[in-house]
Amino acid sequence: MTIAVIARNTFKEAVRDRVLYLLLFFAALAIVLSRVLALLTVGDRAKVVKDVGLASISLFGALMAILIGTGLVYKEIDKRTIFTLISKPIRRSEFLLGKYFGLLLTLAVMTAAMSAIFLVLVFAHTLAWEFRLLIPILFIFLELGLLTAVAILFSSFSTPILSSLYALSFFLIGHFSWSLETLIQKTPPGWGRTALRAVYAVLPDLENFNLKTEFVHGLTVPSSFYVYAPLYALVYTGFVLALAVLVFRRRDFI
Amino acid sequence: MADILELRDVRKAFRQGFLLRSREVLKGISFSVGEGEIFGYLGPNGAGKTSTIKCVLGLLFPDGGTIRIGGRPHLETRAKAGLGFLPENPYFYDYLTAAEFLDFYAQLFGLPKSERRERAARLLGLVGMEKAAGLQLRKFSRGMLQRIGLAQALVNDPSFLILDEPLGGLDPLGRKEIRDIILTLKEDGKTVLFTSHILQDIEMICDRVAILIGGRIHRQGRLADLVSENILFTELTVSGIDPAEVAGLGRSLSAQGGRILLKVFDDVGLESVLDLVRERKGTIHALIPRVQTLEDIFVEAVKNP
Amino acid sequence: MRTSKPLLAAAALALLAASGLKLRLDTVPRQKVPGSSAIYLPAGKFLKAATFGFGSLLADVLFVWAIQYYGDPRIPDKFLRFEHIFSVIAELDPRWIDPYEVAALIALYDARDVGLALKMFELGAAKNPNMWIFPFQAGHYAQLYLKDYALAKSYYRQAMDLPGAPAIARRLFANAAFQTMDLRTAWESWSEIHEAAEDPQIRKIASNHLYRIKAAVDLDRLRHALEKYRGRYGRWPSALDRLAAAGFLEAIPTDFDGRDYVYDPATGEVRTAVIPWKR
Repeated sequence: MTIAVIARNTFKEAVRDRVLYLLLFFAALAIVLSRVLALLTVGDRAKVVKDVGLASISLFGALMAILIGTGLVYKEIDKRTIFTLISKPIRRSEFLLGKYFGLLLTLAVMTAAMSAIFLVLVFAHTLAWEFRLLIPILFIFLELGLLTAVAILFSSFSTPILSSLYALSFFLIGHFSWSLETLIQKTPPGWGRTALRAVYAVLPDLENFNLKTEFVHGLTVPSSFYVYAPLYALVYTGFVLALAVLVFRRRDFI
Repeated sequence: MADILELRDVRKAFRQGFLLRSREVLKGISFSVGEGEIFGYLGPNGAGKTSTIKCVLGLLFPDGGTIRIGGRPHLETRAKAGLGFLPENPYFYDYLTAAEFLDFYAQLFGLPKSERRERAARLLGLVGMEKAAGLQLRKFSRGMLQRIGLAQALVNDPSFLILDEPLGGLDPLGRKEIRDIILTLKEDGKTVLFTSHILQDIEMICDRVAILIGGRIHRQGRLADLVSENILFTELTVSGIDPAEVAGLGRSLSAQGGRILLKVFDDVGLESVLDLVRERKGTIHALIPRVQTLEDIFVEAVKNP
Repeated sequence: MRTSKPLLAAAALALLAASGLKLRLDTVPRQKVPGSSAIYLPAGKFLKAATFGFGSLLADVLFVWAIQYYGDPRIPDKFLRFEHIFSVIAELDPRWIDPYEVAALIALYDARDVGLALKMFELGAAKNPNMWIFPFQAGHYAQLYLKDYALAKSYYRQAMDLPGAPAIARRLFANAAFQTMDLRTAWESWSEIHEAAEDPQIRKIASNHLYRIKAAVDLDRLRHALEKYRGRYGRWPSALDRLAAAGFLEAIPTDFDGRDYVYDPATGEVRTAVIPWKR
């Protein structure tokens, strides 16, 4: 209940913030730019449109999650708006989760808007409504949910610029963690290898939410993937949010 | 009289940066606020007033001591249900209009929609902001923010109000209005704790005060107990006499245009001056006995901590 | 409110579960391209790692750039890095068919290097071993521009058994086998085609080919026997059945339709009674 009230207010804040529209504008621009790229290519133009469109949705979604998410809690503390909120009968966890779901709602609306532009553009090329392309977008949204949680975690104890850097590193590490496997294979068996394997298991693997290539090329995705990947996203997001609440409720607001 | 707020030996230190040296801002604060009274929490800037209040509200976690609100540990959410708070130099979500802002806070208390609307209208009326209901808070002046802040603190019809520098940033007229509102609240049976470093405003409305200096409560009690009824000195303005004649009777502060401003410290001196004026057929323009004020205690306390 | 133990435990549990799920997810076989990093330049590999999941996007950009680059006639030495550029694109998005084909076209018409074009198809085939189009196209190129039927034959053989390959791949293979005088393979292939064909047109074509192969084999044997006959008797036999009587052949072959071959005793020439294509 309280969470919903704060979430709605956070959504209102984002909607009235001009930065968001700037980002949405650039996202739309990037998606439309795929049309230009498609004109320059030879062969399957729809493929280029899909690639650039999905990449834009993913990149700008991540940008929104990081830029807005890292400022969200910090701004409340910096501008002391949190003082009156915490003096109300609200738990700090409720405040934090309200902020999280508010931003998630904002991102959902933004992603929906970008998807609509994208589908129309694909339709213009293939003359077919390719609604199955919504599946990779859904997975992108799962990634955004996790990324938002990470941004909020960092923003609950750090400044927006540092938090943005941290969240960005999380994003990069998340898309890079598979490369640790190569290192593990080169490490001689022993405690070092075990430690690396443990680090590997703990590090996020955002490639699990990257179905862009599969869907552009119409490859089949194993059905167990549809079960485990969303579950992985939910559990990892839950972990990050729990961590954020733990940090946030011990914190002094000076 | 039940205590609405009780602090016992509250301590708080801030660690400064990565160097582990910490600075103690609250060095064992104990006081209590009884039901229905107006309690003034006074002290110079940086004494720790706001830190104390943040501890009470759960914005800071004290290093030691206990705080109870209405008999409950202060971190319980239920303890805050009957609480209203106005922060110092309030700043709120500036993208909301005044009406939306009050509605949002009312929602946090789970009030139904019809009641929220009715309450927001009543509170805007109380703080004299009916006309600004549809205006975004980013366009508000500081005084307007102070008023909307007060309205916000009253949104749940609290029995206990904490106001941090409620008169700060206001013009004299605004100060009087807020003061009147506080007195109205007391009449409604509410308890008020407020901080201030401006003392004239407070003396007139406080039942009890605590004076905080350097993180310690210096004195606390009923105003009447703290301030003695004794006359400290008398200020006299006279004319028609030679300034040299009264030099020994009191301290001459100024002598301009034949008028002499004198500060006389005892009854004997006062009598002598009055006799002298009568003898010389002079005129007494003003005679003001000065009793001890809160400000005197304050200045004295800051000088000799 | 500040008792954090349950939440701490929940967080630890969630992390454990997440790790488990990640390791479980690693076992889900996602379609990845086999050997995508094995043969080619480390630059492509490095690039792929640096794109953080946007490899196919970079491939698009590179391809678009490459088309502009090779479309510019003012760059004289542009083909020096041709293979490198397209192998990087292939590395970034190995499943994308167009770059291979476009690269082959550029190699053929602009660089006039059929070998380079064939390399592009081989790259495509290596990245996509299940796609018939690459060896099929390579076969075409070898046949049309190199007239190398042996090479074409091996490409067609590769293409014709892959899923989705068109029937013409087998026919082209059989034809290439005939052209390289691998008559046994040609005969077997055309027989298969002939039996499997449902379209009467294709059946007819296959039988024409079979006729031709049989004629080629038979006529060769007849000519051989005729030479031997003349070597012994100093003249051409009066009729073909003389060859059997003289013991040079066990039986006189007839053509695919059972007709006798036409023999001219004056010149010793044998030929089919009909033109194979007008049968």
